[in-house]
Amino acid sequence: MTRADFVGVMTNAVAGLGLAPDAAMVTFPIEMFLPGSDISAVEARKREFYEGLTRWRSAIATDVAGEAPMIKVQAASVEDAFSRANHMMLANRWGDGLPLWPPTRERADWILRGSTQPRRHRIGIFPPRGGVTTVETCAIALAMAGGRPEYLPVLVAAVDAFLDPESGSAQLQAASGSAFPVVIVNGPIGVQIRLNSGFGCLGPDPQRPAGASIGRALRLLQQNVGGALPGIGTMANYGGVRYTNAVFAEDEANLPPGWSPHATERHAFAHGQSSISLAFANGATNIRRRGAKKETPEEDALQGMYRMADFMRVPNMPGLAGYEHGTPGILMIPGVVANTMAGLGWTKASIREFLWEHSRIPTEHLRRAGCPAWLEIDSSKVVRESIALDPWPITASPDNFVVVVAGGGHPTNSYWLQGYSPGVVGRTVELPSGFEELLADTDRDLGPR
Amino acid sequence: MVTLEFHDPSGTIEVKQPHASRVSALDGRKLLEADFPGIEVLPIDAFPQGNAVIGSEETAALVKQSGVDAVIIGNAA
Repeated sequence: MTRADFVGVMTNAVAGLGLAPDAAMVTFPIEMFLPGSDISAVEARKREFYEGLTRWRSAIATDVAGEAPMIKVQAASVEDAFSRANHMMLANRWGDGLPLWPPTRERADWILRGSTQPRRHRIGIFPPRGGVTTVETCAIALAMAGGRPEYLPVLVAAVDAFLDPESGSAQLQAASGSAFPVVIVNGPIGVQIRLNSGFGCLGPDPQRPAGASIGRALRLLQQNVGGALPGIGTMANYGGVRYTNAVFAEDEANLPPGWSPHATERHAFAHGQSSISLAFANGATNIRRRGAKKETPEEDALQGMYRMADFMRVPNMPGLAGYEHGTPGILMIPGVVANTMAGLGWTKASIREFLWEHSRIPTEHLRRAGCPAWLEIDSSKVVRESIALDPWPITASPDNFVVVVAGGGHPTNSYWLQGYSPGVVGRTVELPSGFEELLADTDRDLGPR
Repeated sequence: MVTLEFHDPSGTIEVKQPHASRVSALDGRKLLEADFPGIEVLPIDAFPQGNAVIGSEETAALVKQSGVDAVIIGNAA
C-alpha cells in the first residue's frame, strides 16, 4: 500500500532488494496518509489487496543481468547524430537537461585508461534501484559528463564510498530532504587533475574543471543506475546542488603548521595519501565572517566564530541522521583565515569545540518549532536521550564537525554545507601505472597548469 | 549517413530471488480483515509503525513470531 506518486520509489526499492522491479501495489493519494485522514478507501478497495495476496504475478520472470546493450542513432551529419543522441538520452531519462557527451565505445575506453581495475570489476549495487555498478559503468557516466581519464580514480573511490552502507545513501537517494553528496579530496591528486581548492571551488571553473565532471558523473550514476529520478525515484522536494553535487580539494598548501588534512583527522589516512571523503549535505550557505571596521585580529576571529555558530544554530532535523556518527555539516574556511586564526592559537579541535558549544539551541526554541517530536521517534537512543539537554547540541560530539581549509584567498567569507549525513566515509585513491601519461595528455589538450 | 553507437548508461539489474509466493486462498488465514469466516482479525497497530522501526529486524521478527501468513505494508513517508 503506497502513495500514487511513490510507485517509482517502491519499484526502485524492490529492485534494490534483488527482486524483479515490480510488486503487487495498491496506491492511494497522499491525503489518505496524513494524520487524521479518512482511511475508508482502504476497505473500499480490499479486493485489490486480496488479488495482490493471491493472484498477482510478476511481469518480469527471468534474470535480466548481463551486458547493457549499445544504443545506435543514425543521421545525415555528425552534428545531427550528436543532437539525436542527446534527444534520445533525455527521452530515456538518462540526462540532466544539459548537453551530454554520448558515451561511445571509444570515449569509454579512453576514460578507462584511468582505471587500475578491469572494466567489469564490480564496485557494488547502486541503491535503491540496484543497478550493477562496475568500473565501466563509472567510465560511461564520466564520459557523458565530459570527464577525462585522470578523473576516474577519484570517481571510482567516491562511488565505492557512496555504496558503503555507512554513508546512508540507500535512504538518502530516495528521501525528500534534497541531500547531495559532498566529496572532499585530499593528497596530491587534487592539484594533479586540476581540481579546485580555492576561488569558486564549489562552482564552475574552466581552469580547474575536474570537480564539475566528477560530480556530474556521480549524479548521473545516482539517477541512471540508482534510479533517483525527480518525483519518481527520489522524493526530494527541491534537489538543490544536484547538477554537479560538490566535489573539491582541501587547500593543503595553505594548511597552517600543525593543522592536519581532513582525511588524516577523520580517516587516519597518511598525510600525502590521495584520498576522498564523502558525506551528504542538504544546504549550502555563504557566511560573511569578516568584520566591517578596524577589529583587532582577535576580535575578528572571535566575532567570525560566533557568526558562524549562529548560522549553525538551526533545527536541522534531517541532521539527526548523523547525530551520533555522521556530521552536522562541513565548514569551509579560507587558508588566509585559517592561518590568521592558527597564529592566535586556534586549532581545528578548538574551532569544533567552540562551534559545538555556541550552536546549541535552547529547548524552548526546539519546542516551539515542534522538534521534540522528531527527537522522540528517532531510532537512535542517543538522539532520544538528547531531548534532556538544554540548550540542545546540534550533534552528539564536537568531533562530528568537519572543518576543512578551502576557498578563495581572502578573509571575507566562510561556507557551511549543512549536513544530512549518517556517516562520513573515506577511501584512498588508487592510480593506474600510466597516470603521468594521462596528465601529460591533459597538458597537451588544456595547456599547462 | 553517420551512425553513432553508444553505451546504455543505466547498468544491469540482477534478479536474485523471486517475489514471495502468493497464498492460494485467504480462508483460514490471519489477516487485517474480517471478510472471511474464521479469520483472526489483527488490529492495524498490531505491529510497530513509523519510519524508524517499520523496516527493522525487530519488527520482522515480531511479524514472523505472530504466525501471520501474509503482510500488507504501507509506505508514504
